Amino acid sequence: MRISLDWIKDYVELPSGLEVSRLARDLTMSTVEVEGASELRKRFSHIVIGEVLDVLPHPNADKLRICRTDIGGGETKEIVCGGINLTPRMRVAVAKPGAVVRWHGEGEPVEIKNARLRGVESYGMICASSEIGLFDLFPFEEEATIMDLSEFGAPNGTNLADALGLDDVILEIDNKSLTNRPDLWGHYGIARELAALYGLPMKPLPAFAPRDGAAGMNVAIEDPELCARYIGVKIEGVSPKPSPFKAQSRIWRVGMRPINSLVDITNYVMLAVGQPAHAFDSDNIEGHIAVRRARAGERLLLLNGRELSLTESDLVIADDEGPVGLAGVMGGAKDSVLDTTERVILEIANFEPIGLRRSAQRHELRTEASMRNEKGIDPQRADLALGLAMEMFRDEFPDMRVTGFDDNYPRELKRASIRVSLSWMARRMGTRIDDAEVRGMLERLGFGVRMDGDDMNVVVPSWRSTGDVSIPDDIMEEAARLRGYENFEPAAIVTSFEGAVNQRDADADRGIREYLSFRCGMQEVFTYPWVRGEFLSVTSDTTEGLLEISTPPSPNERFIRSSLLPNILKAVAENTRFFGEFAIYESGQVFYDADYSSPYDARESLPRGARSVAGAVVGRQSSASDLFRRAKGIVEWMPRYVHMAPFEFARGEKPVWADGAACLDVRLDHETVGKLALLSKKSALACGIKSSAVTLFELNIDSLKPHASRTNRYTRLPEYPRVEYDISMTFDETSEWEEIERTARGKKHPGGGDLVKSVSFVGVYRGKQVPDGKKSVTMRLVMGSDKKTLTSDEIEAAAGQIVKRLSKTLGGELRS
Amino acid sequence: MNEKLALLRESGRARIAEAASVAELRNVKASLIGKNGALSEIMREIPRLGPALRAETGRQANELKDFFTRLIEARDEELQLSDSAISADFDLTVPGTPPPGGALHPITQMCYDLNDAFKSLGFEIFQEPEITSELYAFDNLNFPPDHPARESMDTYWIAGHDTGRGGDRLCLRPHLTGASVRYMRTHKPPCRFVYPGHVYRNETTDARHERAFFQYEALIVDREMPFAAGKVMVKSVLDKVFGRDVPVRMRVGFFPFVEPGFEIDMECLVCGGTGCGVCKQVGWIEIMPGGTPHPNVLRAAGLDPERYTGFYVNIGLDRLVMMRYGVDDVRLFHSADLRFLSQFK
Repeated sequence: MRISLDWIKDYVELPSGLEVSRLARDLTMSTVEVEGASELRKRFSHIVIGEVLDVLPHPNADKLRICRTDIGGGETKEIVCGGINLTPRMRVAVAKPGAVVRWHGEGEPVEIKNARLRGVESYGMICASSEIGLFDLFPFEEEATIMDLSEFGAPNGTNLADALGLDDVILEIDNKSLTNRPDLWGHYGIARELAALYGLPMKPLPAFAPRDGAAGMNVAIEDPELCARYIGVKIEGVSPKPSPFKAQSRIWRVGMRPINSLVDITNYVMLAVGQPAHAFDSDNIEGHIAVRRARAGERLLLLNGRELSLTESDLVIADDEGPVGLAGVMGGAKDSVLDTTERVILEIANFEPIGLRRSAQRHELRTEASMRNEKGIDPQRADLALGLAMEMFRDEFPDMRVTGFDDNYPRELKRASIRVSLSWMARRMGTRIDDAEVRGMLERLGFGVRMDGDDMNVVVPSWRSTGDVSIPDDIMEEAARLRGYENFEPAAIVTSFEGAVNQRDADADRGIREYLSFRCGMQEVFTYPWVRGEFLSVTSDTTEGLLEISTPPSPNERFIRSSLLPNILKAVAENTRFFGEFAIYESGQVFYDADYSSPYDARESLPRGARSVAGAVVGRQSSASDLFRRAKGIVEWMPRYVHMAPFEFARGEKPVWADGAACLDVRLDHETVGKLALLSKKSALACGIKSSAVTLFELNIDSLKPHASRTNRYTRLPEYPRVEYDISMTFDETSEWEEIERTARGKKHPGGGDLVKSVSFVGVYRGKQVPDGKKSVTMRLVMGSDKKTLTSDEIEAAAGQIVKRLSKTLGGELRS
Repeated sequence: MNEKLALLRESGRARIAEAASVAELRNVKASLIGKNGALSEIMREIPRLGPALRAETGRQANELKDFFTRLIEARDEELQLSDSAISADFDLTVPGTPPPGGALHPITQMCYDLNDAFKSLGFEIFQEPEITSELYAFDNLNFPPDHPARESMDTYWIAGHDTGRGGDRLCLRPHLTGASVRYMRTHKPPCRFVYPGHVYRNETTDARHERAFFQYEALIVDREMPFAAGKVMVKSVLDKVFGRDVPVRMRVGFFPFVEPGFEIDMECLVCGGTGCGVCKQVGWIEIMPGGTPHPNVLRAAGLDPERYTGFYVNIGLDRLVMMRYGVDDVRLFHSADLRFLSQFK
């Protein structure tokens, strides 16, 4: 919303010497956010009134003229101009060198310089209104029409802003900050706020009292819930002539377009007090005005030419024949003001805001009137609008007659009344403001205050009684904001500690991320909760059990993820364009359209959800097995580093996306808590991943069991030396490491003969020296005794036992 | 002969001492005591000497051999220890091997920094499901029944659960505040907690607008909590994020779930408050809403607003992180683009 300070001064005399920046800051701190303040005259610097003395032909161009122009201060300049309406004695706007204009009202602003035009020296430029941003105030039809300022009396050389009375500052107010303050829409409301801030009196607005017996007008309100008040005034002896320049200029300054006096009066009133008004031609009204719900199937041709098909949810203004306007949104074509209009009905009405907003939305109409009406305006404001409008009608049409008047006001607004404790207020503010100061501030804002011991009885003014101010906290806010929040010293937070914060789940969640990022070298990513169809179809062959968004970001993104994998795959596919080897993961929530429950509140029913973590280890296709081992290691070691119960791996059901040769279930206490697998070539291709191998894992974080604290126990350091001993043996390809390891470890020997402390995997070799169908496995034994240092014979004997066991059980052969 | 041996002793000692490398020493050794070395030559002459001299010279020659052998061994050990383990042409300017890459998302990093700060103030960390009901997203938070945010042009409602009202109407949560009521219903006041997380809004996206973003919200509920104490919470956040004292101001602002409500501004870090293009010449940048929980919100949480009050702050973490690092496109945060993410360690 734009606010003209010049206009504000109609209603309140601002303190002299108050700087605009200060005013903007005060409003921002206490009332509404001022996004900017611009001086209107800056747009017209170096543009002055000039008078054309002679219009001479241009020697080299038919369309150009040379105008000898008096630009004041005794200076006469020759200006080359292509205007089609130039005549001697015409007064014009001259843009002198240094002025900024837009050529023909289009493109970027350019600075005027002295120039030669077709061989003739020209001083500056004579302007068309569009070239200096004044088209809406000085419209023209034919191209190259020069702005004629002959009516304006200012002497030649006067700056254009002064000559046109455009010495003004325009405030830009953030509409969002007005949401809950319908009283502030309009200059009068902002003026009232400034008066309260600076402790100044408001100037009264004119009032209108109809003379007795002005009949001829009778408005029926069918449903007072939808229309609290409707004032109709029938006025004769008017015409749609241009408004006085000052009114036009004000309307233009705050962003609307002057049309004609009849329309301008209603717009002016709306911009002044925030109450929309409407004028329509009464000759085209048949019978009486009624405010009623539309009947299903009724049609309404709007004044903008659109025809609406109405429903019973629409509120209309109707005559005996049918709807003539969509209430509070837009008037109809039938009764719109035309060039021939002589009699009008002025409508100032109060409509129920919610239905009106829905109606406007349904018909995709957003007008200045609907914008204000849907905020909820107090019905008493109609009186201000009426007084101001009638004064303007009388000023512009001294001979006009009021031939009908009806003020149908079935639902008067009750002013809210609130009891507030002063000591409570002091506690909330953290400081006690003097009682008289509180009272004074509230009264300046229009509240009625009666003190009653520690209590105040506060009566809320009508313009704040629309729901905005209704509880003691609102009253406290009024006093605090008027005092200025910056005038409250920051207070300390006082509390008692009952113990340290100990949150196992939150710690585990963070522990997992830090483990994956810092230990495993993976990059955390964020993706969206919705998944794209092409990736979803890779990880799942059904969309059953998935939740759907009713108005999704795109038709292809309507399902909500029940697994993080589709989005991880999308991220992998996109990153393979730039990177060959990388590892990423995401930790987030997933959902299923199943198992609805009420974990927090019996009144709601929420779908099953889980916290999940999924990762991808990506590299060259030739290193798929290494990638799998790396991913397996990441999952395998997670419980140890994050301090959780350990996992087991087992062959399980193959997910549709997995390579059957490299696919494992991750289990915890025999329950499957996750999957680990190589992405199949087919799935990779479907994701657009062409030359990379990808190993994926996903774990359900909610199923993991974080320990209460760090749980591992210390092992005493050995007293006697330990020896590492490597064995390489060939086995059938079908022999698995787990089996080899188990066999190598053997059963514990009775009598403490367990010299082998550990058996660990070193590597697998296949090659020339190893026959087909066989593989060579290297393992490392750590041997030692707790009683003595082993001799080499004892070491060889123990190793020999293991070799023998492996040959006997698994057919292993020692390699030389 | 004696003289010869004495000369050899001196020259040999010098050559051993001068040998600069193991290889050179090996050559010296060969030329002194090797098969064709100087000493061997002398020893070959011994049988030709007179018997009187023979024994004495032989003894002297052997003594010299031992002497050289000891010197060579000592020199060899000396050379071995002073020799480098790395080849002499090793290039010291080759960069070091980097540690494993990987990092937290920049927003997670900031979130954990804030968690640490709030935990040190005794706050708990709370999480609620990202799918919530209208009851918790709006009704409990004092949003009027007709509030525009309840409509599908603002909020992502769940198909098949979008027609009911209250507890039956489900959506991706549009803000975090609903979680505060969940917490308050299950924890006895006084309480203080943070509940960071993702929120979702139906928006048209561009460099400044996203459909998914990350908020950080904190709430204190206690018997006494003047709103002026809220400034402490605000400053805790900003000082942590920006690593220095950041001037803040609280000004009037309206949000349904707070009364009074505030817009909280911080001094523009680009111009230091004097006004510039980034702060639209005002010197301040709007960063978060906050305020005292509305009595209706406390009631929804089962608390008596006569007895309890508190303070909310709600930070759009994306924006703060953007300001912190100079990121100019909010969509990068959910892009999973490693070219972007790998810049934050």
